[in-house]
Amino acid sequence: MFFTEGGKVMKRLVIVSLIVFSLLIGFSMAGAQEKFPTKAIEVVVPFAAGGSTDVLARLVAKYAPKYFDKPLVIVNKPGGGGVTGTEGVVRSKPDGYSLYLGYGSGHDLVEPHFKKLPYETFVDLLPVCRLSVHSICMIIRSDAPYKTAKEFAEWGKKKDQVTASVSTRAGSVDITLQAFGKSAGIKMVTVPFRGGAESVTAIIGGQTDCGGNHPSEIISHIKAKRLIPIAVALEQRDPAIPDVPTFKELGYNVVTAGSVKGVAAPKGTPPEVIQYLTQRFKKVCDDPEFILDMKNIGQPVMYLGPADFAKFLKEGFAEYGKLIKEFNIKLE
Amino acid sequence: MTGYILLVIGVVGAWSSAQLKMGSFRHPGVGFLPFGLCIILTIFSLALIISRLKKGTPSKPFWPSRTWLRPLLGVVILGLYALVIETLGFPLTTFIFLLIWMGVIERVHWLKITFISIGVTLGLYLIFGFFLEVPVPMGFFK
Amino acid sequence: MSEIFALFQGLANGFGIAFSLTNLTFALMGALLGTAVGVLPGLGPAATIALLLPLSFKIGSPVTSIIMMAGIFYGAMYGGSTTSILVNIPGEAASVVTCIDGYQMALKGRAGPALAIAAIGSFIAGTIGVVGLTFVAPPLAEFAIKFGPPEYFALTLLGLMMATLLAGTSILKGLIMVVLGLLLGAVGLDPISGEVRFTWGLLMLQEGIDFVTLAMGLFGIGEILYNLEKELATELLTRKVSHLWPTLKDWAESKWAILRGSFIGFFIGILPGGGAVISSLVSYAVEKKVSKHPEEFGKGAIQGVAGPESANNSAASASFIPLLTLGIPGNASIAMIFAALLIQGITPGPFLISERPDVFWGVVASMYIGNVMLLVLNLPLVGIWVQLLRVPYAILAPVIVLFCCIGVYSIRNTVFDIWVMGAFGVIGYLFRKVDLEPGPLILAFVMGPILERSLRQALLISAGSPLIFFKRPIAGSLMGFLLLFILIQIIVTLRKRWRTRFPPSGA
Repeated sequence: MFFTEGGKVMKRLVIVSLIVFSLLIGFSMAGAQEKFPTKAIEVVVPFAAGGSTDVLARLVAKYAPKYFDKPLVIVNKPGGGGVTGTEGVVRSKPDGYSLYLGYGSGHDLVEPHFKKLPYETFVDLLPVCRLSVHSICMIIRSDAPYKTAKEFAEWGKKKDQVTASVSTRAGSVDITLQAFGKSAGIKMVTVPFRGGAESVTAIIGGQTDCGGNHPSEIISHIKAKRLIPIAVALEQRDPAIPDVPTFKELGYNVVTAGSVKGVAAPKGTPPEVIQYLTQRFKKVCDDPEFILDMKNIGQPVMYLGPADFAKFLKEGFAEYGKLIKEFNIKLE
Repeated sequence: MTGYILLVIGVVGAWSSAQLKMGSFRHPGVGFLPFGLCIILTIFSLALIISRLKKGTPSKPFWPSRTWLRPLLGVVILGLYALVIETLGFPLTTFIFLLIWMGVIERVHWLKITFISIGVTLGLYLIFGFFLEVPVPMGFFK
Repeated sequence: MSEIFALFQGLANGFGIAFSLTNLTFALMGALLGTAVGVLPGLGPAATIALLLPLSFKIGSPVTSIIMMAGIFYGAMYGGSTTSILVNIPGEAASVVTCIDGYQMALKGRAGPALAIAAIGSFIAGTIGVVGLTFVAPPLAEFAIKFGPPEYFALTLLGLMMATLLAGTSILKGLIMVVLGLLLGAVGLDPISGEVRFTWGLLMLQEGIDFVTLAMGLFGIGEILYNLEKELATELLTRKVSHLWPTLKDWAESKWAILRGSFIGFFIGILPGGGAVISSLVSYAVEKKVSKHPEEFGKGAIQGVAGPESANNSAASASFIPLLTLGIPGNASIAMIFAALLIQGITPGPFLISERPDVFWGVVASMYIGNVMLLVLNLPLVGIWVQLLRVPYAILAPVIVLFCCIGVYSIRNTVFDIWVMGAFGVIGYLFRKVDLEPGPLILAFVMGPILERSLRQALLISAGSPLIFFKRPIAGSLMGFLLLFILIQIIVTLRKRWRTRFPPSGA
């Protein structure tokens, strides 16, 4: 008795659940087909607002509406030399709405050689693309008693120590200048400041004997003839400052990948999302107005796709490792 | 009394700072300044204790009658607010907070409280959540 | 002569640009927003400007966007003093000093005159600042960059000494608060070596304690908890208001304070990093020293509001100087404006005035106008704020607590910060019970990191020799001044002790 009546109910139940089930599947498929992005994409810059990475990010965000379907929102999360903000992205949902801009900076390529980070830089982050490379450039005041890197080295040999202003302790600039010091046989003491802007102010004011900065931080001062760039730590000359010789050319075996500025997404981000991002970022990088704007602020546009970028990062990381080993650079 | 607490802080702090690299006078390390400061604090707290003992005035009671009750309630309510805000969301938690505060601590009439609480909650939400677009935890109001 | 003529011409052009309807509207918007941001806890002008950066692209004209951002920056300076006076909560570090006498004036029913003098002083100072910017910017900027780590160390040390004076009566207690403040400032990552201090494993403390959290807790919650001790009926807080406007006597007393504050703020404000805080401190100390009634300071002396408020506003104007003349941003808000300019293709620096005089003079002119706008805006507001004080404390107190909570939460979106604020609230409450002033603590907290950093940087530069602080001319004179200052203090204290022990015969 129960069964016959139960049978009808059962049948209805089964039919209803089949319908509901198929509807659900239908909806979720439709959901999956919903194109990325459906809302604004947050781009985290793990450095202070106004710095060179931040300016790059905001410039990209300025041109993004032309090529992205949803706006890019820049969020500054400074702290820990870049680690805090990056870690935030690492731990965020890998849905493509939280990206890290600045992939390849000092805390990615240099710091892991000294300290263990709370995440694996090359495992927990996926490279999306490279946007630019900020080379490390050694600068001096225009009224200094030395005019070239060689003269500086000679001058430095006669002194107990020479000082260099750098943006962060154990950052890419710090390591590079220490390497130069060892390579030139002088005692180089690096004095850390809070970021590029402060360290530029220090060298302009003559607080230290030389300084290390990225071209974008010094380009206006070079124009004003206050600072002279005397060497750049790259494999080849930096297109932003083409007249400046590389350390290698001058005979000092200090070659780095610079401070690389790329975009990364947390591990697990779906490949279609990465592809979308890569394509659109490339479009921004190809935009002639963007290229011009970047040139004006001293940041060359150097796009690389995810595979090439990944390779470049690995090589850059190894390069820094070699530099640290060869010149026996230690943290104080 | 204050002096003793500060003394303890000074000594504990000095010990804690000594765990860090100290460096030297010419090259101060991480722990150098905190260590020095804690030593100075210890000295000052001793000075405070001594000057108190010398004066010999009887110390006033810290909490005459039960004046500690209302501040304690305030702290507890604040603590509850912090505990609950992310689960219940801003509007509800704020409303409850206002109700409890005004009701328990100040004993305002319940009708008045309710109106004011609603009004203030709305107002705050408008200012912070809406105008300034400050991300405010919404709990289950999402 | 022709140079001055060129200056006036540039300025005239600038006014022409600034007076366009668009620019005036955006200046007003910026001023309004800035005032709101300054009054409300949590969001600061730098963060607000950062939020609005994308908007600046849409506006199109760089001059207009800079005008708006400058308005926000300024407005925040005007607004910050409001909460200091009304509820003893400093909106930012430069307003801490205003709390001291400002709040006392409010308790005496003189909130109106306090707010009014703050607004007027800010206006005069801001204008003097812009005038200075117009005429003496380049040589002063050159002076500013000579300030290196040794100079900053000496200056900050001087500032700390002055902060101990804020303690009121007991210098020992003031010194203790300063030391505590310095220790609190040491919590977190050490910038020079990158190591973590005093965090006890709590990740949230790695960045250190935020100023807003400390200020809200120590000043806001602490004060409210303290006031809770008194029952409603026997409330000691006179929230009555005597009159809105400053009396003639107030004017007479304040006018010199305003002028002195303006100049102090201008010269110290040029220095990148921390100019406004130190200038407000120096102004307070100066006013106390030159006053005929120094005992009134701490109890509601109007010069204690007029001086520091003027100082921090002219410091705000002056902080534009390194940006516009050398291309060096001096603080977080200016750094945002710097970034905004860069993105729009304008590079601030020595060439700005020749290459883009429209931007340079447009911004300068709008600063004059902005100051006027803010004065016109703030004076009527005084009446409204004072009305707010009439709200019964039973309702006002929890609302203030909520404001603090939200403000603190908005910094990092973590409840942890509310807990920290609460903890400091309890500490602040206890401090008040034992007559310990939170003012010197929070000022030391702000200046501590600068002090330590500068010390270690200076010693790195000098290879460990402490002589660097005395050999360099600026640092040397500052240190000399500091030693003189300490010496005078010791002598004065000893004389007082001597006099009380051995009263002059014939008494």
